[in-house]
Amino acid sequence: MANKAPKILVFSTEKISDPAIDLAGLLKMHYPPTIYSIPLRCSSSVKSRWIMHAFEQGFDGVFIAADGTDCSYGESCVDKTAAIIAQTHEMMKAKGIEPARLKMAALCSVCAEPFVKHMKSFYEALSKVPA
Amino acid sequence: MKNKIGVYVCHCGGNISDVIDVNKVREEAEKMGGVAIAKHTIFACADSSQKEIAEDIKNLELDGIVVASCSPKLHLLTFRSVAERAGLNPYNYVHANIREQSSWAHSDDKKGATEKAISLVRSAVERVSHSVAMDPVSISAQNVVAVVGAGVAGMKAAIELADMGSQVYLIEKSHYVGGRTSQWGKLFLPGETGKSVVENLYQEVKKRQNINLFTGAELVSKKGSVGNFEIEVKITSRGVKKDADASTIEKAIEVCPEEVSDEFNFGLTNRKALMNFHPGQFPEIAAIDAATCTKCGKCAEVSDAIDLNLEEERITLQAGSLMITTGFDPYEPEKSEFGYGDYDNVITLPQLERHLELSNGKDLVINGKKIRSMAYIYCVGSRQPNGENKYCSRYCCTSAVHSAIKVREKVPDMTVYHINRGIRTYGKQEVLYEQSSKNGDIYIQFTEDTFPEVSSNGKHTVVKVNDLLTAGKELEIEPDLVVLVTGMTPRKDDAIGDTLKLPRGRDKFYNEIHPKLRPVETTIDGVLIAGVCQGPKNITETVKSSLAASAKTYSLLKREEITLEPIMAKVDAEKCEVCDNCSAACPFGAFEFVEENGKKVAKVNESNCKGCGMCLPVCPTDAIELSGYTNSEIEEMIDALTESDY
Amino acid sequence: MENEVLSYDALVIGGGIAGEETALNLAKMDYKVLLVEKELSIGGKMILLSKVFPTLDCAACITTPKVSETARHPNITIFTGSEVKGVEKKGERNFEARILRQPRYVKEDACTGCQECEPVCPVVVKDQYQFNLVGRKAVFVPFSIANPRIAAIDIENCSLCGACERACPADAIDFSQEPEEKTYQFKSVVVATGYKLFDPIKMPRYGYGRYKNIITSMQMERELAPTRPFNTILRPGDGKMPDNLAYVLCTGSRDHTVGNPICSQVCCMYSIKQAQLLMGALPMADVTIYYLHIRSFGKGFNEFYETAKGMGVEFVKGKIGKISEKENGNLVLRYDDIETGQVKEVEHDMVVLSVGILANDEIGQVFKTQKLEFDDYRYVKQIDELKRPAMTNIDGVFVAGAASGPMDIPDSILSAGSASSEAASYLALTE
Repeated sequence: MANKAPKILVFSTEKISDPAIDLAGLLKMHYPPTIYSIPLRCSSSVKSRWIMHAFEQGFDGVFIAADGTDCSYGESCVDKTAAIIAQTHEMMKAKGIEPARLKMAALCSVCAEPFVKHMKSFYEALSKVPA
Repeated sequence: MKNKIGVYVCHCGGNISDVIDVNKVREEAEKMGGVAIAKHTIFACADSSQKEIAEDIKNLELDGIVVASCSPKLHLLTFRSVAERAGLNPYNYVHANIREQSSWAHSDDKKGATEKAISLVRSAVERVSHSVAMDPVSISAQNVVAVVGAGVAGMKAAIELADMGSQVYLIEKSHYVGGRTSQWGKLFLPGETGKSVVENLYQEVKKRQNINLFTGAELVSKKGSVGNFEIEVKITSRGVKKDADASTIEKAIEVCPEEVSDEFNFGLTNRKALMNFHPGQFPEIAAIDAATCTKCGKCAEVSDAIDLNLEEERITLQAGSLMITTGFDPYEPEKSEFGYGDYDNVITLPQLERHLELSNGKDLVINGKKIRSMAYIYCVGSRQPNGENKYCSRYCCTSAVHSAIKVREKVPDMTVYHINRGIRTYGKQEVLYEQSSKNGDIYIQFTEDTFPEVSSNGKHTVVKVNDLLTAGKELEIEPDLVVLVTGMTPRKDDAIGDTLKLPRGRDKFYNEIHPKLRPVETTIDGVLIAGVCQGPKNITETVKSSLAASAKTYSLLKREEITLEPIMAKVDAEKCEVCDNCSAACPFGAFEFVEENGKKVAKVNESNCKGCGMCLPVCPTDAIELSGYTNSEIEEMIDALTESDY
Repeated sequence: MENEVLSYDALVIGGGIAGEETALNLAKMDYKVLLVEKELSIGGKMILLSKVFPTLDCAACITTPKVSETARHPNITIFTGSEVKGVEKKGERNFEARILRQPRYVKEDACTGCQECEPVCPVVVKDQYQFNLVGRKAVFVPFSIANPRIAAIDIENCSLCGACERACPADAIDFSQEPEEKTYQFKSVVVATGYKLFDPIKMPRYGYGRYKNIITSMQMERELAPTRPFNTILRPGDGKMPDNLAYVLCTGSRDHTVGNPICSQVCCMYSIKQAQLLMGALPMADVTIYYLHIRSFGKGFNEFYETAKGMGVEFVKGKIGKISEKENGNLVLRYDDIETGQVKEVEHDMVVLSVGILANDEIGQVFKTQKLEFDDYRYVKQIDELKRPAMTNIDGVFVAGAASGPMDIPDSILSAGSASSEAASYLALTE
């Protein structure tokens, strides 16, 4: 595990944060290719079991690219997503998974730069965190 | 599980193939479970490629399709319709984004990009193999609109909707239509007055058989959803018969002992509990204000037209959509704000407007005093550095400038000061500002750091101001009249907002979905907002917004059928333990509780569900799945992404 | 072309945001619409903008879904590169219009927009879609998010060398295409022809055109857009990144000397937006806005203005008299400082002229039997502005968007909504 590139799963959202990830590509802003995204409808629809499943299957980190206040389904989405993260952190602790492996940040639809910054620092951090 | 999946890997000219080894991706795809055919193509989106995919679907009886190309935002719908044209359900199509999220993002790492593309295709193949065919959900809808608020916006919307072909209920809380425009005199368009605009619209409303106007009526509850709302309306009787004889009514008003301040004239005059209509208010019939009337019966003694049975009536109406046009309240200055309430020659712009309407003769006389000089103080209640109202009220600069022009028509030698924070006569309204400057009006500008002060020197009201236009010089003016140019604020009475759960913006006006491109729709399907309840506007802008909302409404209802995307939550009744978490999490009220096989369970009302999935994680028994995003689809995708150990 | 439809419920002239919105509204009411656009792509001015105020959404991101919805709608037919030559009213709900379709010299259904033709074309001319900041070829895809995203040949500049024909993998080049003019029938007409930008060359005292480091606000939009010509902000004179920029508001607006006395309604806000974007793109740069009045009047606008002040954008109330150029390409602005009453001079290394918007009055000559009336500023006249804001002097002809006066995007959407409603009511009378 130590000398392998960390694998990160990003749960993005179809209307807001995934377009930002697309824009990063369009602007040829590079980030490691072991970062994959699965776009959901809204970040607050992510189930803890999916996140836990990702860790069980070998992902080193999971990143929730939340909608923030731009969410077209209502502003409550940030709080709801945060609550899911908190709950999942507890589940991770119980399973002995470092909570730092699950992160969240709000990204707007043109937040390409912030996305790449988040990815680089998360990737770096995961390279250091013991498995 | 599907076993006849077709995979198409796109070169996108060279946009993908210059970085990603497209053929390797194709070879790997061919080996994936369920894949019957894997091809690569220069441009998957080109007509010829689309035809080829469609033919493969038919000839090989493919049961699922994956195209690995650009972002789904560009071509997901293109390929869904290819599938549909070839007879495959569009939801058995899955898009893999290997351009924006691989070849472009990782153009510095060709091997990595190729490996990622393979993983993305593998996860798309997994997803498609678990995908379920879905058909759009159609619900019937009534081509009936309930418009709440019969000011200019509401009446205009009702007229246009009626002409386009809808049935309209126009619901007005007051006993009169016309709203704020009735209170205004001459408008800046030549020949137009508040009264002329309201009268014209009212006559047009009356003419149309398919508009039902309710005055003294309030929407008090709402059930149902887009296409089929059911609303309850509380109607208060007007207390005066329609064909009342005017002379007996006048007598009845005279004998009414209950006198209160008249809100129509912003407290400049009083009125009785039995109130007569003002010019500009329609219908031109008196009405009893049930809140102040004591039912003493004196009016009924002198007039047969009075009916003191003021019982309220409740009716239920069905409507396909709701349009909210409830307008605004003018900002009410606080006690002592620029001397308001301290000095009787400090009034608001709407009050000045009423004075101009109520007074005739050549002079402007206020509180018995002939006015020779006046100072308008701008931005009162708007653009507050410390207060809550950070917004600009948009209409007031032009309105104040125009008011000064009107005053000068009456009193040509009036001295007029405009104490402003930068005049915002945008667009063609600029010419009014020019005209007022040419008339000799004096413009003095202050900043948010140095607000003018209004005080009294015992004899006169004094306005002290630092003028930015003369290098910050402190000026002292002793005008006969101070006019506070007050802005627009959201209605204090927000019963309708509470009932409908209308979202509000930072400025507390009702909020649209998107301020740029969707300014009249709200996050509640079938509930539209128009006019000033959405944000400050002048009359033209209000009318435009109400017509825009009418266009959206009519295009929604014309077919009497609404098609919804089939991506919706579903509850597994067996697992449901009725904890209510889902309905608490749902922003759209899509959950209802029903009896199923003798057990109470949560159920999704399809016409309300927008497929956001907020209910999924809160269910303690994991009883809710979102079609297209089910546990098996997501988890198989995750498995596919981790299969390669690159 | 055999099955070509010659009769529609509505002719919408102009495929910018107002025309698209009108076409979509009508199409969703099941009316058949022909949308005619003079340019090679629909999307109008909005699709070329960077971000929009006050939401800072990327203009392309929010407009392209509307553009593709318009292009895909089964009730909408689009002619790009086409012009309405004459509209005659024959009776109520009976209009006849001649429409000229210019050839692209590229087969629309064959071209995939791969741009293989561009590198082989030997002709370079100024790119009008990048507002002349850079060049393009004689065969070109107008811009990366154009719709349709297919090539066209600028035949006036083409050398007919045939290189593109040989390079095209789809055999889409077709020099045999000819202009085609046909008559179509309509029941109603919506004019959504937008506006023109003020050309600051008409104000020699600013030196635009002579001094290289003065650009227009539209050129700055392009420098800031995601599909920008350079990958950063630079001054055209020497490619240096500017660090002290000036905005000159009211260039060509509120100015009788250039024949435009009215306010353009959008320049304050787009300048404040650009200033905010520049502070992000060039963190070390100073941005100063020279203004007479800041007109941030729309929903969320004043708050946006306050944000800009908070970010450090400098606002100077002053009237610019004259601009001159120094040897190093920097510019000296001579201005009346209204706050101090003094005439001052100040140096900036790049100047952006916030150009106003003007009426696009060419549409006037299109109406043959009955003249389309204009207002005092050559915008299409709204004859009952308070009650029927889209109505023109010709029954059945409606106006949408900035064709009736300066306005921003939300106002254009509302105005297009009015035109749609009023046109639909007019059309409903037949049924």
